[in-house]
Amino acid sequence: MSYIDWIVLIVTLALIVVYGLFKSRTTKNLDGYFLSNREMPWYIVLFSIMGTQASAITFLSAPGQAYTDGMRFVQYYFGLPLAMIVLCITFVPIFHKQKLYTAYEFLEKRFDLKTRTLTSFLFLLQRGLSTGISIYAPAIILSSLLGWNIYWTNIFMGGILIIYTVTGGARSVAYTQQLQLVIIFASMFLAGYLVVRYLPEGVGLFDALKVGGAMGKVNIVTTGFKENGGFDWKDRYNLLSGIIGGFFLALSYFGTDQSQVGRYLTARSIRESRMGLLMNGLVKVPMQFLILLLGILVFAFYQFNSAPLFFNKTQVDKIQHSEHAASLQQIQDAYQKADEEKTAFVKSLAATGNFELTEAEKIQLANINYQRDSLRTSFKKLVEQPDIKGDANDTNYIFLRFVMDYLPKGLVGLLIAVIFISSWGSIAAALNSLSSSTIVDVHKKFINRNMTDRDDYRVSKIYTLGWGIFCIVVAQFAYNIGNSLIEAVNILGSLFYGVILGVFLLAFYFKSVKGNAVFWSAILGEIVIIGLFILNENKVIDLSFLWLNAIGAIVVVLFAVILQSFSAKKLA
Amino acid sequence: MEEHNDKPPVFRSWAAWYWLVALFLIVQIVLFVFFTNYFS
Repeated sequence: MSYIDWIVLIVTLALIVVYGLFKSRTTKNLDGYFLSNREMPWYIVLFSIMGTQASAITFLSAPGQAYTDGMRFVQYYFGLPLAMIVLCITFVPIFHKQKLYTAYEFLEKRFDLKTRTLTSFLFLLQRGLSTGISIYAPAIILSSLLGWNIYWTNIFMGGILIIYTVTGGARSVAYTQQLQLVIIFASMFLAGYLVVRYLPEGVGLFDALKVGGAMGKVNIVTTGFKENGGFDWKDRYNLLSGIIGGFFLALSYFGTDQSQVGRYLTARSIRESRMGLLMNGLVKVPMQFLILLLGILVFAFYQFNSAPLFFNKTQVDKIQHSEHAASLQQIQDAYQKADEEKTAFVKSLAATGNFELTEAEKIQLANINYQRDSLRTSFKKLVEQPDIKGDANDTNYIFLRFVMDYLPKGLVGLLIAVIFISSWGSIAAALNSLSSSTIVDVHKKFINRNMTDRDDYRVSKIYTLGWGIFCIVVAQFAYNIGNSLIEAVNILGSLFYGVILGVFLLAFYFKSVKGNAVFWSAILGEIVIIGLFILNENKVIDLSFLWLNAIGAIVVVLFAVILQSFSAKKLA
Repeated sequence: MEEHNDKPPVFRSWAAWYWLVALFLIVQIVLFVFFTNYFS
């Protein structure tokens, strides 16, 4: 990175920290520290919800995802607007009227203490581990790309935000998320504008989409049905899994995960909470669409220009210095030839100014790309060799590699800053929620019931700091275990979310079901979900993890209704 | 009191807002289908 990039990076990060500290004045009690005295307007709630959900990986992965797999990833968000509606009808009024600090408090009022403790424990376990990975995942990418030490990158990624998160609690978190999103969107728009400008003369946005479309990348809506007519349950992103699976995932995440519930509980009224959530339902899908569109533009750019064999340079260097160097050379030579053929073909189309490909041209282009993809697959096999044990997935590196290689000085620093601040937004909200659940659901229940407001405030800050350190330690530990952990912890959410959602659905919609039936159903449901996950991992069944949310919720509801009817009969 | 304010802005009822969010989703899906077919 150049000096200008370093200056832009440091100034942007410092701006966020200073702004967070500037907005940190709160009353010294739980209401002030965790709920901003319930005074936030809907647009701050909206920014806070969006900033919590969107991590660095959202902005890094999505363009790469579009580049490799097309735009169908957007379907993953189709269930979200519907979930926002259900939340506004059911969850929001109850959470507000009961003046809760955490979602799990409600479960004690509705069922009993053991159900509340079980769900808060599942939340702390899942969120604590996944926040550690939220630190590690972008840190390893920056470390690999820029040659930074991974341990220090983890500390910067997860450490600096602790300053304003500990000091200002939910208020600082919400206001910094607002500023962070403004910087992120401005930077992404600027990057998108430059990609279009870097296309050859006479080639515009529409032509870029034509090129992407001809290669199957503009596949926004897919049905998920196989050629033989059967539904592909393993297919992650299609209309059905997006609407149903995505609905249950969003309902669990926004309705039962304290990192989100804690954001809309800061609203000054039920109305402001509802508006924040509904606006999220309106803007989320278009926002994801635009991020994916950026990936298509980068894809089109690399059709007119030479594309790297593999976007993570560290892995290429690793193989170059191994016994597989000769194999790599062969693959690189063949790839360069195919890549030149592709560039020449696409440039010839640009020269005619006509991107309406004939069937023969489409087949020719598909053949060239098939050849390039096969060579990339051969390279990935080298990366996976036992003596290399590298990461064969370069999706997260595609956009940043483009940024580093082609964007002007200053903008590179700004986009690296985007990686940091988008991580900070979600990590800060996670630390705030981990601390609120620890003090409200655990400390004040089991350790010290008689605390003053001052004690609450002081201990909450200590817990926020403690969780911050814990998550950095998890991130450092993740480095030693390897890349597979990232995927494992992403799936971790789906292992718990469905079960927790089932418990909340029983609380809201099944008035006759009591605490014991719910508690044991949650335990049984968790066993079923973990069982399904193990069967899937061992290839006994084929099931995308997105379905685990829906299955978990349905299984818990069914078990509880059956158990309750048995216990009712026993009493009769 | 402000905290109990549940009056929806713009529309008379929250149901209208829910319909707006649902219809906007449907319109987007239809446009995406059109987009997919047009560029493929």
